[in-house]
Amino acid sequence: MKRRAIHLGFRALTALSALAACAVLLGIIGFIVSRGWSALSWSFFTEEIAHVGASGGIYYNIMGTLILLLTATLCCTPLAVGLAIVHSVYLAEHPLRKKLTMVLYLLNGVPSILFGIIGMVLFVQWFGWGKSWLSGGILLGIMMLPTVTITLIERISSIPGRYLEAGRGLGLNQSQLIRSVVMPQSFGGLITGLLLGLARAAGETAPIMFTATIFAGATLPSGIKESPVLSLPYHIFILAQDSYDPVTKTRLWGAALVLVLIVFALSLAALPARLKIHEEADHA
Amino acid sequence: MPDPILNIRELTVSTPQKRLLNPVNLEIPEGGVFGIIGPSGAGKSTFLKSLNRLTELVRGLRVDGQVAYRGKEIYAPKVDPDQLRSQMGMLFQQPVVFPTSIYGNVIFGVKHLGIEKKSQWAEIAEKALRQAALWDEVKDRLKKPAQQLSVGQQQRLCLARTLATGTDIILMDEPTSALDPKSTEAVESLIDSLRQTHTIVLVTHNMRQTEKLCSNVAFIGLRDGIGTLLAQGDLAELKASTDIIELEDYLCCETPGIVDTTSKRSHFS
Repeated sequence: MKRRAIHLGFRALTALSALAACAVLLGIIGFIVSRGWSALSWSFFTEEIAHVGASGGIYYNIMGTLILLLTATLCCTPLAVGLAIVHSVYLAEHPLRKKLTMVLYLLNGVPSILFGIIGMVLFVQWFGWGKSWLSGGILLGIMMLPTVTITLIERISSIPGRYLEAGRGLGLNQSQLIRSVVMPQSFGGLITGLLLGLARAAGETAPIMFTATIFAGATLPSGIKESPVLSLPYHIFILAQDSYDPVTKTRLWGAALVLVLIVFALSLAALPARLKIHEEADHA
Repeated sequence: MPDPILNIRELTVSTPQKRLLNPVNLEIPEGGVFGIIGPSGAGKSTFLKSLNRLTELVRGLRVDGQVAYRGKEIYAPKVDPDQLRSQMGMLFQQPVVFPTSIYGNVIFGVKHLGIEKKSQWAEIAEKALRQAALWDEVKDRLKKPAQQLSVGQQQRLCLARTLATGTDIILMDEPTSALDPKSTEAVESLIDSLRQTHTIVLVTHNMRQTEKLCSNVAFIGLRDGIGTLLAQGDLAELKASTDIIELEDYLCCETPGIVDTTSKRSHFS
């Protein structure tokens, strides 16, 4: 009787936690949609910012955020793949492996504002880039690195040993095995990790506000030095801070909604790749 | 008698805790099917993997002694184990097809080893699939996922894959233990047809299969809990050696024709 009560209580508790998580998510999304929906229009997506955000659109903010995310992905992917392979293959039996894991977790815990400050000292001042999309992209890429690498490491470690043994049995050496088995079979992990990382990076303001982005007056970058971009999170940040005008507020929520949609679209775009992986896992 | 293709001298395998295989001395002649029989857990698979140095991939496993392949010592310092393994293909209990197309599987070794030009791949694939008696069944669906094939077809696909790399010896670790009787027969007749061109070392648990295929047989039994090569010769000789208790136990209690599905399978499912 007591066991049953504990069982039921525990079930109720877990169900409640799940419900709470879903409620928070739906609440936030519902709030953003209800506040921002009316701001969305064709011109909102295609026009330049005007009157300090009170009119015009957020075309260059969207483009700027996409440029930052793309740069972050391009910086992060090779590093993450390399790190994950070093961790899983070359350090497989090495004491450094644990240290590397620890470094990754520590890096994951570094507050984003610190990346902003370090980026400002390094890129803006020391390199003399001024505000540049490249510094923002690199910083976001480094911020994503632990997430992507750890997801990839987990996927690599779940590759069934029989594939590795069969590969070696064919006479493949370690690097051939990495290219033929390890990398293709952990591709889904890379995609998942990138998505998790990008979803977070898309909304980061602190790392880019001193290094890469301005509020108004930038279009598409044409170089590296003194080439800032507009971005959605910084746009939201400034409007939320400085605006008391209800029309502008609506446009602020509209921008937030677009940011959510971008993250959602990214997840959707990667769905085929992820589904394919699951299918393979079922067959195997 | 011509030189054996594999000459095994004082080969032992052990973990840091215990000896797995007592010293093995064995000559495996070129051509034909050499059978290795014995009870589960006696170290037949371990022995087989020590012949192409796959044992090295298992942490803590130590191999001592000598194995000469065509007169060359495979455990000599300068030997490239990957090169060696491409000459000694391996077939496992459960077929291991990679999550790619049928064609992708056949040329998997050839492609990633980089031993043939891309323009040759299609030809190599067809030849290997014909050798593995699979061509007629798959020629119209080469681009389909290999995992859609039946388990028996998958095992023949694995064989085609190792044949495609130009293997010399094929090490087979109970290759039919996961198969239904019909697929077992298909693989057995395939093994029979390959004896002309290849040397096959067949670990099997199945006396009917041994009688059908193997010209020479070695019996690895457990003596004092350690795998030991207890008898070798042709099957008639082996059956006549009634002085070896482990062998007699094994032969009397092994029901012919029953496919072995015990013990090791659970690790793979």
